[in-house]
Amino acid sequence: MSSAKADIKIEIKRRVFTFRVKRYDPKTNGYKWSEYKVEVTNRQTVLDALLKIKATQDATLAVRYSCRMGTCGSCAMVINGTPRLACETKPFELGTDVITVEPLSNLKPIKDLVTDMDDFFEKHKSVDPWLIRKDEKEQFEKLDTYYPQTEEQLLNYLEFSYCIKCGACYAACPMVFLNKNYLGPQALAAAYRWSADNRDEGYVLRLKVIDSDNGVWSCHYSGTCSKVCPKGVDPALAINLLKKSLLTGKPPAR
Amino acid sequence: MGMVAKSTLMKWHYITGLILVVVVGIHLAFRWPSYEASIEWAGPHGVYEQLMNTGYMAAIFILLYAATYHAMNGLRTLLLELHQGRYWNVAVDVVIIIVGVFIVIVGTVALVGALSVI
Amino acid sequence: MTEKLSTKRNPPKWSLWFKGLDEWLLIFQKVSGALLALYLIGHTLIISTALNFGHPTPLTWEKIIGLIEGPQIIGNVHVGTIIEYLVALLVAVHGANGVRLILMQYFGWGLPKPERRTYPMVPSPKKRSQMAYKYLVIIVVVIFIVLASYVAFIG
Repeated sequence: MSSAKADIKIEIKRRVFTFRVKRYDPKTNGYKWSEYKVEVTNRQTVLDALLKIKATQDATLAVRYSCRMGTCGSCAMVINGTPRLACETKPFELGTDVITVEPLSNLKPIKDLVTDMDDFFEKHKSVDPWLIRKDEKEQFEKLDTYYPQTEEQLLNYLEFSYCIKCGACYAACPMVFLNKNYLGPQALAAAYRWSADNRDEGYVLRLKVIDSDNGVWSCHYSGTCSKVCPKGVDPALAINLLKKSLLTGKPPAR
Repeated sequence: MGMVAKSTLMKWHYITGLILVVVVGIHLAFRWPSYEASIEWAGPHGVYEQLMNTGYMAAIFILLYAATYHAMNGLRTLLLELHQGRYWNVAVDVVIIIVGVFIVIVGTVALVGALSVI
Repeated sequence: MTEKLSTKRNPPKWSLWFKGLDEWLLIFQKVSGALLALYLIGHTLIISTALNFGHPTPLTWEKIIGLIEGPQIIGNVHVGTIIEYLVALLVAVHGANGVRLILMQYFGWGLPKPERRTYPMVPSPKKRSQMAYKYLVIIVVVIFIVLASYVAFIG
């Protein structure tokens, strides 16, 4: 073991990248571009670079982040034209010397790269993304019976449960741009995730929101949400499965 | 159109879509082999011949109704995506229904009249 | 907060949408649908007028259609022929792509099943059955263009 460990050679490359950052200024209510040159290694991420810029060049640059490891979903931003997590994108792997960083589209700006996620979270909440039982007391009082689940039942919703609510799909969706009341890929994927859970009994309650002009029917399947999702959640598949359920009258497979 | 579930509207949107593939296919196939000849009144493959063809005229009637529903529902969806508001939503529904009924009436009158005269 | 928050959303990245086939199909489906709906209204009114609203005569038909067809360009081809040709192309793309969506969303044909995700993750629009659908749409449209060109310009 110890000899194998000694064999691993970590090669560190260094290069200076130019970061073009699109910044929203709440004082003037407009956007401006700032350019920074910063040296990063091949093991550092865009978020590392932005924090380095903040520490050494421009303390006024506003970035939102928390976990730095793709778990919290705070640092989604548009990097080289595609919404991604800054903490999971390495400048060396982007293949360009000039890296453009912009705040997420379809969301209201607060400052620089920080966006207002209120609408996004409101839409998420509107689909009741939690376990709903017909008997509300049962889940708190009858603790001797639990809700069993088989492997197959788990796989019905598992891939949709990896969502970290970063808003990348929401920013990428052309229909959210066209229809600003559209629930968006994230909320609908969450609706499917809970409706396809065999422990949940709330599908009928969610229909009022899902089956509306601003629900699944605003989706026209460009699949951009699935292509940009950093967690592989595939909201487009969830929306198509919801549409199938609504059209055929059969609730999601659970 | 608050009283009808959107999924019911869309189910018919999809069903009429499938019907339209067939009847629009027939409608376009009757332009064969020459578009110009197919819109002449007389002559082979002309309009008179098309009006005399019972099967084709049945397809045209279905086309009129299916296309009107499909187009009006699609237009409504698009208009509600572009903008939403209390008055806008009602106005869209009213305009869509009026235009749809108008097309159906005009088309039916023209086709039934043409069939009974010929 | 001293400043008032902006009420306008950040502008979209159009380049993100212009590089994918799915996005082009979406844009085309929306735009062609709107154009075809407007065309349906015009087409019904014009043909009904040409049929003299139920009292058809060869004379009214030739007069109205001659008016709509417009000036001759070359051989059999009029301005109206070109317009109808382009509308037929819209119908072909809208129809071929529409059938794809209906088969997938109504009947579930080619729709992947949810599964345990493994790296590298392939989003559903990039899965094989979905790509086959999209290539079929393109093939159908190309065949249609060949037939429509013959009918409009040669036949």
